[in-house]
Amino acid sequence: MSAPGTRRAVVTGIGVVAPNGTTAETFWKATQEGVTVLDRITREGCGQLPLKVAGQVPSFDASAVIEERILVQTDRFTHFALAAADEALQDARLGRADTEGAPFSAGVVTAAGSGGGEFGQRELQKLWGKGSRYVGPWQSIAWFYAASTGQISIRRGFKGPCSVVAADEAGGLDALAHAARAVARGTDVLVAGSTEAPLAPYSMVCQLGYGELSPVTDPQRAYRPFTGDASGFVPAEGGAMLVVEDERAARARGVPVRAVIAGHAATFTGAGRWELSRQGLAEAIRGALAQAGCAPEEVDVVFADALGTPQADRAEALAIADALGAHGRQVPVTAPKTGIGRAYCAAPVLDAAAAVLALEHGLIPPTPNVADICHDLDLVTGRARPAPVRTALVLSRGLMGSNSALVLRHGV
Amino acid sequence: MSDRITVEELSELMKRTAGVTVSPEELAERTDTAFEEFGIDSLGLLGIVGELENRHGTQMPPDAEHCKTPRKFLDLVNSTLLAGA
Repeated sequence: MSAPGTRRAVVTGIGVVAPNGTTAETFWKATQEGVTVLDRITREGCGQLPLKVAGQVPSFDASAVIEERILVQTDRFTHFALAAADEALQDARLGRADTEGAPFSAGVVTAAGSGGGEFGQRELQKLWGKGSRYVGPWQSIAWFYAASTGQISIRRGFKGPCSVVAADEAGGLDALAHAARAVARGTDVLVAGSTEAPLAPYSMVCQLGYGELSPVTDPQRAYRPFTGDASGFVPAEGGAMLVVEDERAARARGVPVRAVIAGHAATFTGAGRWELSRQGLAEAIRGALAQAGCAPEEVDVVFADALGTPQADRAEALAIADALGAHGRQVPVTAPKTGIGRAYCAAPVLDAAAAVLALEHGLIPPTPNVADICHDLDLVTGRARPAPVRTALVLSRGLMGSNSALVLRHGV
Repeated sequence: MSDRITVEELSELMKRTAGVTVSPEELAERTDTAFEEFGIDSLGLLGIVGELENRHGTQMPPDAEHCKTPRKFLDLVNSTLLAGA
């Protein structure tokens, strides 16, 4: 093991289960094409609720990818996590045999905002409908935020650092940073990311109080951040898992280094206080750039949080300008989540996955459904923009006041 | 309802509450194999006990969820059901 501080955390694998694609490859194809999949919510029991539009993961057959023994004890958000983790590990060419000999060198870190709401609702209905004796034992673990971290680690036999970041939507980025710190401290490989499944009746009712939710029922007009029509955000399900690995371990295995996790910082400015998020987000950007040893001018693309309310959009545009100076008005900014919705903690992880793919392909994906920007930003709209992208800045804010920034740099 | 719990019923419960598929024939042959080897952990067995209690309207002894093998489990729950009948 190398001395702390000399180990660099890199991304070697990507797994995605998103509304616009249930593999990293299909996700990237749809993302760079600017496909929008926002639509009326069709999930069972959700029809009467006032929340009408979301990004749903269609035709995901959990039983095709997860053993029945695990299926009966897990919620949809964990099904997404297990599927994405499998893909990420396969992408990183890490099979069971590769970690079996050193189980303490592999860990898991996830972030979750919604937990296993669908599973929990089913069991709570048994509790109040039939009595406590009819609540199954799996309720004790399935709806818990930590379920996905636990199930991934058990299924893969990972005994290294395993944790869950509970830090609001921005926790998705914090989870990636947490994984990078675990690598710096000596763990060779971590599965890190977030998946959410908040489109079930109970979970949706929990969201109805969010003033930032878009009331617009036309899927093409519901989520249009940075425009004069900005009226809030549209929720989504799904997410992504990345394999975060010690660079030397990755190179020794001969696998491609997809990106370097170069810097991260997080701040907190209070729930719904969007004006204050300007300062908080700017400070997070400065902190992340400082840690990455990266000048503002080196940022080639910004993946915006893009909450979609006028106040929050304005705060973000100003934060980018505050932290990047004159470069903030020239750097391409994108928000591909306008095509798929905002999957809470998983939203910034999907952005991080898209950022890694953008670095690899030299292509900045567009911001679907958005035109006529009313902020001083170079927002990429319409079509993907080819650009020699070496450094990506991913931003995220949570409804409860967390702000986070992550710097990813090209792997080679 | 308080007749004996058969290997067939246990096999069905293992599938339904723990997601573990073992045919009644195989289970009958392997009654001394640990539940763990079938992929049923303590929570899995707890779920089976709960389901049995609801079906038979009888409480099972606390030891039921700690039985290591199907044979020990069936012996215990059946003696409980017999005593209650």
